[in-house]
Amino acid sequence: MLAPRLLLLALLACGLAAWAQPDATEEILKQAIVLHQAGNIAGAIQAYEKYLARRPDSVLALSNLGAAYARVGRYQDAIVQYRHALKLQPGYPSAELNLALAYYKTGQTETAAGMLEKVHRAAPEELQPVLLLADCRLGMGQNKKVIELLTPFAERRPDDLAIAYLLGTALVRDDQPARGQVLVDRILRHGDSAETWLLLGTAKLNAGDFPAALADLAKAVDLNSNLPDVYSYYGQALLRTGDPAGATAAYRKALAANPYDFTANLQLAVLLTEDEKIAEALACLGRAQQVRPNDLAVRYQLAAIALHDGKLDAARRDLESIVKEAPRYTEAHVALATVYYRLRRKDDGDRERAIVQKLNAAAQVKQQQGVNVK
Amino acid sequence: MKLSRREWLSLAAGWGAARRLKGDPAAPPLFEEVPPAESGIAWVHDNARSKEHYLPEALGPGCAFLDYDNDGWMDIYLVNSGPCDFFHPSKALRNALYRNNRDGTFTDVTEKAGVGGGTFGMGVAVGDYDNDGWPDIFVTSYGNCILYRNNRDGTFTDVTRKAGLETPGWTTSAVWFDYDNDGRLDLFVCSFVDYGGSAHRNCGANQLGRNYYCIPRFFKPTASFLYHNNGDGTFREVREGTDIARSLGKGLGVVATDVNNDGLMDLFVANDTVQNFLFVNRGPDKAPGSRGRWRFEEMALPAEVAFSAAGQPRSGMGVDAADVFGSGYQDLFVANVDQEMFSLYRNQKNETFRDVAHANEVAQATRLLSGWGLKFFDYDNDGWLDLMLANGHPDDMIESYSPTVKYREPLLLFHQENGRLRNVSAEAGPAFSRPYPARGLAVGDFNNDGLLDVVIGVNGGPPVLLRNRTGAENHWLGLKLEGVNANRDAIGARIRWSAGGVVRSRMKNAGGSYLSSHDPREVLGIGSAAKIDWVEISWPRPSARVQRIENPPMDRYIGVKEG
Repeated sequence: MLAPRLLLLALLACGLAAWAQPDATEEILKQAIVLHQAGNIAGAIQAYEKYLARRPDSVLALSNLGAAYARVGRYQDAIVQYRHALKLQPGYPSAELNLALAYYKTGQTETAAGMLEKVHRAAPEELQPVLLLADCRLGMGQNKKVIELLTPFAERRPDDLAIAYLLGTALVRDDQPARGQVLVDRILRHGDSAETWLLLGTAKLNAGDFPAALADLAKAVDLNSNLPDVYSYYGQALLRTGDPAGATAAYRKALAANPYDFTANLQLAVLLTEDEKIAEALACLGRAQQVRPNDLAVRYQLAAIALHDGKLDAARRDLESIVKEAPRYTEAHVALATVYYRLRRKDDGDRERAIVQKLNAAAQVKQQQGVNVK
Repeated sequence: MKLSRREWLSLAAGWGAARRLKGDPAAPPLFEEVPPAESGIAWVHDNARSKEHYLPEALGPGCAFLDYDNDGWMDIYLVNSGPCDFFHPSKALRNALYRNNRDGTFTDVTEKAGVGGGTFGMGVAVGDYDNDGWPDIFVTSYGNCILYRNNRDGTFTDVTRKAGLETPGWTTSAVWFDYDNDGRLDLFVCSFVDYGGSAHRNCGANQLGRNYYCIPRFFKPTASFLYHNNGDGTFREVREGTDIARSLGKGLGVVATDVNNDGLMDLFVANDTVQNFLFVNRGPDKAPGSRGRWRFEEMALPAEVAFSAAGQPRSGMGVDAADVFGSGYQDLFVANVDQEMFSLYRNQKNETFRDVAHANEVAQATRLLSGWGLKFFDYDNDGWLDLMLANGHPDDMIESYSPTVKYREPLLLFHQENGRLRNVSAEAGPAFSRPYPARGLAVGDFNNDGLLDVVIGVNGGPPVLLRNRTGAENHWLGLKLEGVNANRDAIGARIRWSAGGVVRSRMKNAGGSYLSSHDPREVLGIGSAAKIDWVEISWPRPSARVQRIENPPMDRYIGVKEG
């Protein structure tokens, strides 16, 4: 989410003074770093690769090449370099953070979070890994962990808007609007910003005030369409106010900015499935699953597509696993009943059907309680 | 070659329809709205809208085509709201019966006929329950229902109490059908929600500071009613002990059909915010102690018509059934609220269905619409069933919340081509670009030209009468079936006909649409063929006779008596 702002190339700060006796090979590295710093990434990559062909165990070159790859979006290549560097020199400065960032960028959020935890433990007061870790946790839906992580920082750095924004987002998503509002007010003091409208819109979305959320999120989009997550939430508001075409377009924009936006991938997959664009839906779900490998909604969508495609055994396996983990997941029970009936396992189908009826009856009672009596 | 005037007119009309379907804006419309000034139908529905926004205000009205005086011309019945515990109209409100003057105009005969209602009416189901050859009228309501028995002299008598059909609560669509094949029409009545007694519920103020119509999920579901016709003018409620009693729903639409071709009429019920029901008729209950009870097995989930593909209940409203694609089995249709899309369920011939709405342009066309009245019928007599849908969002304030969903919505028309439905609404004429808060929809040929016309009930407005202008290039035969041992309306009969080397079939279903009742005659279109070689009618049990007519006359209605 905030990754572009946090992208660190700190390793470039490693001084040229390290080279006591420059030779022709070291000149290649020196040239690579100059090119890298000058923004000629293609040239830098070429130079790093040339250097590494002669000095394959140069941790500095490996790490820098990883950074150059990351800079041009070749995150998988970057990961290979970082991992090699860390294998040669565990704990090499910045490599862990950059590797975590590369994992994050390739949707391997859980792995990224694990690495960031490690970096954070090693340097508890370093803000950048904390912010990136919080962002990963938000992407994984672990709002409480974000609150736990950032609250002490927010107390020590009340004017840090990045902390306020991330913590406020977590609080709003965790259904703690009152605490979130304090942080929104803090951000508001710094003027009209896309971040503020995004936070406000998110809060209203969570509260079910969809038209108001749509208005706020539209302002956020107007002020900064590059703000991470803004199109994802805008898409949700559009969907909730009955504009699936608008939502689809917004989700596509969200994914253009961040192909691993979990919500955009999941919601777009649902819309695509409804439109029977199954191949594209599966691609979205694959990316969503990379971010949250065990997410039940993603797994359910995949199982539903398997059912749609007539892959009954695969659907049954997945659905059985889902309802075991989430016995109150009514839609999964409906799908599982359907699978059993199609497999001619009537008794199993009837059992699932009875569960569906029980769950729906309970939901009905709950819904009845939500109405005023005049 | 010299053309007769009739042939020339037919060709000219056919050319017009083809031009319209090819997108020629100068072509005559497929359906043309007949204004009240021309039709003489001045009646206007009063939806009783109040600032409190009581839900019954949003759901009516139904409408019907019927030939109440047996003169061979379709008359029209329209249902109105009326006094009830939350509505005390300042002026008298009534339902309306319009007699067809046989010249494209109608005359209000409500007072003389004695069918003005007096309850908060919802829908209408027409059927000859006493097999006397004269259609009777059943009116559903928020409040008690009404059964009007036809006196065969242009008047009706309210026999509700005597018949045992008072049916309290909030009833919506109803259907006459012979579930036990005893030759008498029984009655299924959809029950909507438990709307409470004196403590009426509303959903308080919305963001606009106004009360709004509750989403029905807030109200308790109820069981629908099944009445057995005793054959002596009375009915017995027989749902107890059946899946119909056990299945608590929020019924809005119902169609009686035979989904498994076993000769027993089944019921498909569209429910709002809870799963749909498919009551498959299994015949007499053979369980010990059942004492003659009939067995209906609710199997919508196994049949895959209960929930959306995502496993969620939807807001089912209108329904219909027909052998849409000529498979010999009945397919099902259900219309839902916006964002849910409507479903066209193709019969897999094994008591299961698959939703093929997307492949037939239905899902795409209906994502933002809320559908109520609907009917499969062959509007251009090409031999293939088409589909018309009446739409409108139930919430009059929806446009304040949604930038894309409207309260008034356009009608939809689908034409079947090469085994698929195609959305031809944009080419169907101005009536399909005008938005309405439409509810009920009935199909009937009011001018006896063999082209089926449509009447639509509009919430809080005048009905819309649509005259079919598709032209007469395709030949047709209209059948008015008359059962003798079978029920007089021949509900459940199967018709096969051969023309131009093609054999087609149709089942005479009952109900379908929403709150509405249709022309009981069946119009058989034969496309480009010149004549029908034979027609075969398989009468429902207890008759079970098969009757064949060779070389029937064309382009006219004929009566066929079971024999």
